Amino acid sequence: MDDGIYRNTCPRNCYGTCGILSHVKNNKLVKVTGDPSHGFTKGSLCAKGYAYTQFVYNPHRLKYPMLQTPRGSGNWVRISWDDAYSIIGKKMIELQARYGSNLASGYNKYSGNLGLLHYATEGLFNSIGTHTKPVGNPCALTGLNALEYSFGKKFSAVPEDMTYSKMIVLWGANPAVTNVHQMKFIYEARRKGAILVVIDPVLTQTAKKADLYIQIKPGTDMWLALGVAKLLYENGYASNDFLNERGEGWNEYINFITHGITMQEVYEITGVPPEAIAELASLYYSIKPTATWAGLGIQRNSNGNDSIEAINSLVALSGNLTIPNAGLYFMHFDVETFPNKLLNLEGPPNELVLESRSVDISDYANNALSFDNPPLKLLWIASRNIFTQDQNLAEWKELFDQLELIVTVDMYLTKTAMQSDLVLPAATHFEEEDLNIGYWHYWISLNQKAIPAYYEAKSDLQIARELTRKLNQLSPGFSSFPHEKEPIDWIYEEITPEIKHLYGINSFEDLMTKAFHKKEKSIFPDDRQIFRFFTPNENNCVASKAPGLDSFTLLTPQSLLKIHSQYEWVSWLNTKKDESLIEISLAAAKKKGIADQDKVELYNESASIIGTARISNHLPDNIVLTHQAGSNPINQLIKNKDTEKPDSSTYFYDSIVRLRKWEGYNV
Amino acid sequence: MGFCFNADDCIGCRACEIACKNENQTPSGINWRKVKKISSELFLSISCNHCENPECFRVCPQRAFTKRRDGIVEIEQSLCDGCQLCVTSCPYNAPQFDPETHKVSKCQMCYPRQDAGLLPTCVEACTTNALSIVNLDKFNNPDIVSSLPGFPDIQITRPSIVFFPQKIRKRYFLF
Ligand code: SF4
Ligand code: SF4
Ligand code: SF4
Repeated sequence: MDDGIYRNTCPRNCYGTCGILSHVKNNKLVKVTGDPSHGFTKGSLCAKGYAYTQFVYNPHRLKYPMLQTPRGSGNWVRISWDDAYSIIGKKMIELQARYGSNLASGYNKYSGNLGLLHYATEGLFNSIGTHTKPVGNPCALTGLNALEYSFGKKFSAVPEDMTYSKMIVLWGANPAVTNVHQMKFIYEARRKGAILVVIDPVLTQTAKKADLYIQIKPGTDMWLALGVAKLLYENGYASNDFLNERGEGWNEYINFITHGITMQEVYEITGVPPEAIAELASLYYSIKPTATWAGLGIQRNSNGNDSIEAINSLVALSGNLTIPNAGLYFMHFDVETFPNKLLNLEGPPNELVLESRSVDISDYANNALSFDNPPLKLLWIASRNIFTQDQNLAEWKELFDQLELIVTVDMYLTKTAMQSDLVLPAATHFEEEDLNIGYWHYWISLNQKAIPAYYEAKSDLQIARELTRKLNQLSPGFSSFPHEKEPIDWIYEEITPEIKHLYGINSFEDLMTKAFHKKEKSIFPDDRQIFRFFTPNENNCVASKAPGLDSFTLLTPQSLLKIHSQYEWVSWLNTKKDESLIEISLAAAKKKGIADQDKVELYNESASIIGTARISNHLPDNIVLTHQAGSNPINQLIKNKDTEKPDSSTYFYDSIVRLRKWEGYNV
Repeated sequence: MGFCFNADDCIGCRACEIACKNENQTPSGINWRKVKKISSELFLSISCNHCENPECFRVCPQRAFTKRRDGIVEIEQSLCDGCQLCVTSCPYNAPQFDPETHKVSKCQMCYPRQDAGLLPTCVEACTTNALSIVNLDKFNNPDIVSSLPGFPDIQITRPSIVFFPQKIRKRYFLF
């Protein structure tokens, strides 16, 4: 590669989707800077982004394809790519011969890299015909469904517009940790006089910076939203013009907030003091425009859908839906407006098995274990670290035991890779071409290949291309993947005339010079659009019982210097010390006789985790808080709930654990 | 020139600290800038303060330190013989000893960048604007203070840094 500056895009599952300028010298990435042409990230990155040279050149990175026999033994040997493809190819072909279809082969891929060309994994499996296919979205589905219900479509306002809001309500969102770039817009608004309100069970880093912080019991946001709406409506402060014309379900909603619920109930269920609710209502009444951001945490429990709908309705009732620089924030799914040719690639038909077999990605192991005709036998894992991130880990172990071949594509030997037969070294985004679309902001940016691959690492797309050749060599016509197409060809096909128009891009070459913003603004919206109010009923308004002081709700938010388990090998970001911290309330500490820094055990029927107690002054009595990932992943304690609906996000925050002082020695 | 650190705006995101490592490719364990959590409410982001009376300069037997006209205190690594007197005399832990090279290095306030009209990399990286550089001779604001809890004694070296303290906020906890 020539020396110089290349354009990359951070592909992490993160609000930023930051534009990166990569400084390359002698085929090495020597430093990274933010892309000033990117209007959301405006020339800076987060700490993780600034550590990318270490992420790329890291002694822990996988260099070659490796085979482990037996699985889990740690007995790894380096093999050639050709041998790796042969092992996989022969297994796929043999399974197809054994079962008459490819249903015994499946994959589990999620959000490790959100670039469009990473859909090569899906494309590869599509290309072999019907197979076993994950569906759903464990992270944000509940919220997206709630938005679709309220607006009839997915909707999230433009983040840069927050700069012009007069009030910003962050409801269960913690951008100081998870979305640092948003803080500059929030602060800019505040410097112009806006006020920042944070509603959260935890006094988060963002909450500490708020002009007004309101603590709330977890999972009770629906009641707070209804209570504030009740106060607004009963004081005659509802925004009538909008509601009469365009609000569906208005009467039922008003009937419920006036007769179905008392303020006393709201205080009791949410734990929010009456003065705080009154103050919030008066702010919503007196300050416009107000931007309201419902964070992902709100929808990680069984009330999630109702809470988001209730917040949407409050925003509508307060008159903040139709005016500029107000509105609602969650996240958007504009990536769906692209052709997504790899994702939607069609494979050869199979006369016997017409449809692929779906597995709910939020309950993958249980689902897959229930298949017997045929059972799942080959699993391909990409962009995913199951053993630190998923729930139901015991079931996962059981599923792994039944699998005949487990292939993991990753940059590092993750906990999941360690349990695989074969690991394939993946390229970082600096070593491959891609195209990236944000899910928070509305920017599109290119990802160029800036440096040669690290040792023998390859992109998901390259792997799909080469495996296809091997498959077809072993069994002509097995895969229909268009392996001759180069990455650039796939990117060209995504930039259709409609997309060019939508983003104001003249030619593909434009993307090599800067990032582009969608021209049409996502604000609510054209005059005829209907809004559907939340219809509470007896069923969805039953407050879940708060656990007594013997059990605790486990909250596991994202940590600052990691995204799930990503970046854990980067020593610049070394966070080992914080990893095993378990934050507990003063009340819990007292009751259980635990002192700060004591070793404590968190346990339930699934597992037990030992960590170091940190007593937190402001944590609600019934909450314990830990961070994700680490060497002893907290997700071992997380199990599917009976209440879990198939079309929802995982109810991570409905997990209940117990707590005791740890008397053992070695930890 | 000096730093201006706004404790009210800082969110402890450590972008400044890692951006410095990215720019200067310092090895793990050598941190020219460090973000320290002083209390649950307060972070400090600290590097060399390019002091008015630099102790490092005074104690260095090799005369490896110079103070530029614009105030930047520079270390010339080739002169350093690793005696670490500066390390022990600097109140802010700014000089960093590298046991591998047996030399001391520290924040040079990105003078090559500044000479080219760019901001120091830590300042550019700070999304919240909590960290900035100001001309201390001219900078005047009724809210600034000369030190904050957790910041070492400023009497000896007169560091080139000013602070904005945190503001008191309104909070409602569960009742
Ligand atoms: S992790 Fe997020 S904020 Fe950091 S560089 Fe990547 S996209 Fe940007
Ligand atoms: S902070 Fe320390 S190293 Fe920097 S000029 Fe002052 S005394 Fe010298
Ligand atoms: S980058 Fe700014 S906000 Fe982040 S830790 Fe440094 S000074 Fe604080």
